[in-house]
Amino acid sequence: MSSRSKNGSELVIEGLSRTFGTVRALDEFSLRIAPGELVCLLGPSGCGKTTALRIVAGLEKADSGSVTIDGEDLLAKDASHRDIGMVFQSYSLFPNMSVAENIAYGLRVRKKSKEKIIKRVREMLELVSLESKIDAFPHQLSGGQQQRVALARALAIEPRVLLLDEPLSALDAQVRTQIRDEIRRIQIASGTTTLFVTHDQEEAMAISDRVGVMLNGNLEQIDTPNSLYNKPRTPFAASFVGVTIRIPAIAQSKDEVLVLNHILDISSHAPSLKKGTEVTALVRPESISMEKSAKGSAIITKSFLGAMTRIGVDVGLPELIYAEMSSREARKFDTGDKVELTISSDSVMVSNV
Amino acid sequence: MKRSYTKFLTITVAISLSLLIFIVPYAASIEYSLRGNFGKGHDLTNYLWIFRQDGFLSHLTLSLELGLFAGLLNLLIMVPTTTFLHLSLQRYKPIVDFICILPLMIPVVSLAVGAEYAMPQAIQNSQSELIFFYVILALPFTFRVLDSSLSSIPLKTLVEASRSLGASWFATILRVIVPAAKGGISSAFFLSFALAIGEFTITSLLHWDTFTTWTVDISQQNVLGSIALSTFTFIFAVVLLVSIALFASRRKNKFQQIEETT
Repeated sequence: MSSRSKNGSELVIEGLSRTFGTVRALDEFSLRIAPGELVCLLGPSGCGKTTALRIVAGLEKADSGSVTIDGEDLLAKDASHRDIGMVFQSYSLFPNMSVAENIAYGLRVRKKSKEKIIKRVREMLELVSLESKIDAFPHQLSGGQQQRVALARALAIEPRVLLLDEPLSALDAQVRTQIRDEIRRIQIASGTTTLFVTHDQEEAMAISDRVGVMLNGNLEQIDTPNSLYNKPRTPFAASFVGVTIRIPAIAQSKDEVLVLNHILDISSHAPSLKKGTEVTALVRPESISMEKSAKGSAIITKSFLGAMTRIGVDVGLPELIYAEMSSREARKFDTGDKVELTISSDSVMVSNV
Repeated sequence: MKRSYTKFLTITVAISLSLLIFIVPYAASIEYSLRGNFGKGHDLTNYLWIFRQDGFLSHLTLSLELGLFAGLLNLLIMVPTTTFLHLSLQRYKPIVDFICILPLMIPVVSLAVGAEYAMPQAIQNSQSELIFFYVILALPFTFRVLDSSLSSIPLKTLVEASRSLGASWFATILRVIVPAAKGGISSAFFLSFALAIGEFTITSLLHWDTFTTWTVDISQQNVLGSIALSTFTFIFAVVLLVSIALFASRRKNKFQQIEETT
């Protein structure tokens, strides 16, 4: 592994815009990824995450903005001269080439010596634990194995930046988790700066140093998975990352809100909020706790989810309020029980809608 | 039980009939071409007669050369064209489709005369002008074969993967697209090659002499010889095309080769 790859490169995207017809796919999108960091772009379909990645790769043109790696402008360069590795959503191995030939492809077009190519191919196969498949052809590999070879092929050229465009979406759930962890292990081992695009929030949270939530061609919030989950800055970020329960609430001031008969701090300030304004509090289900109370609300549903159990309570609103707790704790409650709900976090996010 | 027997019987009869329709004329031709002088016995006299005729080898070689160049030129034009039509110029596909079907719609005489005048004088005066005519005539077939072949592979992803790994467009077409669409490309070449070797009308209209026109001339001298000649041409074409197909499908693991030599 080269020292460059070990240290990684810095990727800086500034003011990137791209319009397709009347659709603005990217709107002044900016992002800075530190050397060796893995950043996930997370968002719904059409939010612009894949467009951003494809512009960095040189597979799509930008209307304006800049992309630099270690200060070097990329947009003027052809895709084949950017030194960027890419793993695609669909299987992209060359069907006429064996695993070894696929991994060697980027090195062969760079006219590396035979000895170097063989050494590198072996290193890469070891990295993705597929030494035994060296002579296999893509059609002889499982989906997971194909994506591991695609990853090895992308890393073989010692790219300055690695781009992963929903590489796990074609795999089944069990393999996806396994390959996801493997991608993270390999990324840490290679130290390659990585931009990962996905619409799967669990995937993004599990492997990223930072997650960027995208909406309408721009970043809503970029933060560590922990901060993004626990301190979302916008209602969209809160609802897109993790499960959010929407509970009607009344503003007490611009800093406080009344939710389920409890006054709580508002985690992000809404300047126009006046006392008495009807708002919606966005609460994580695991932040809602309950105690048995004869004057409380009735438990309507109880769903066993394995380690966790989800309990639905009728508090007189059009929809049930769902709380999640460990299945051990949930043993105390049963459908029909009367309970009083409390919110265990100090602050909640509110939405005007 | 009775139902499966009926099915078996139907399939057997259908296949037997098809084989009979296909084999009987050729078997009859072969038998007829092997008849000796004055219809006595069977020998190779008529086949030996072909090889003794003046111009046999030169005309055959010329037709093979023209077929080879027509096939290669067709691929040179149509592989990049269909590739870009699939990748980024999809809106132009109906136009190209229409242009490619024109050779079937335009009468051969008009095509021959019209295209002849459109060509530079230097090409008009050379027998190699036939290559361009053969390419034009093969377009309706080669375009469709290549189009369906490229539709069956994830072309965009393969091209993007190759480009992101540092390959030029030329290298991408040569190392990735051509091998991935090998079946369609081989078929397009064979169609073009076979059409060029068997083409008679335009060659004759433009007063050029190839193996086909030579065959027609020579056939008028000897009835049994002409049957032997058409049988020979058929067998030769089949052997040639099968040989090329087998050669094209042969591949070696290059990585193993590299490892063995180092």
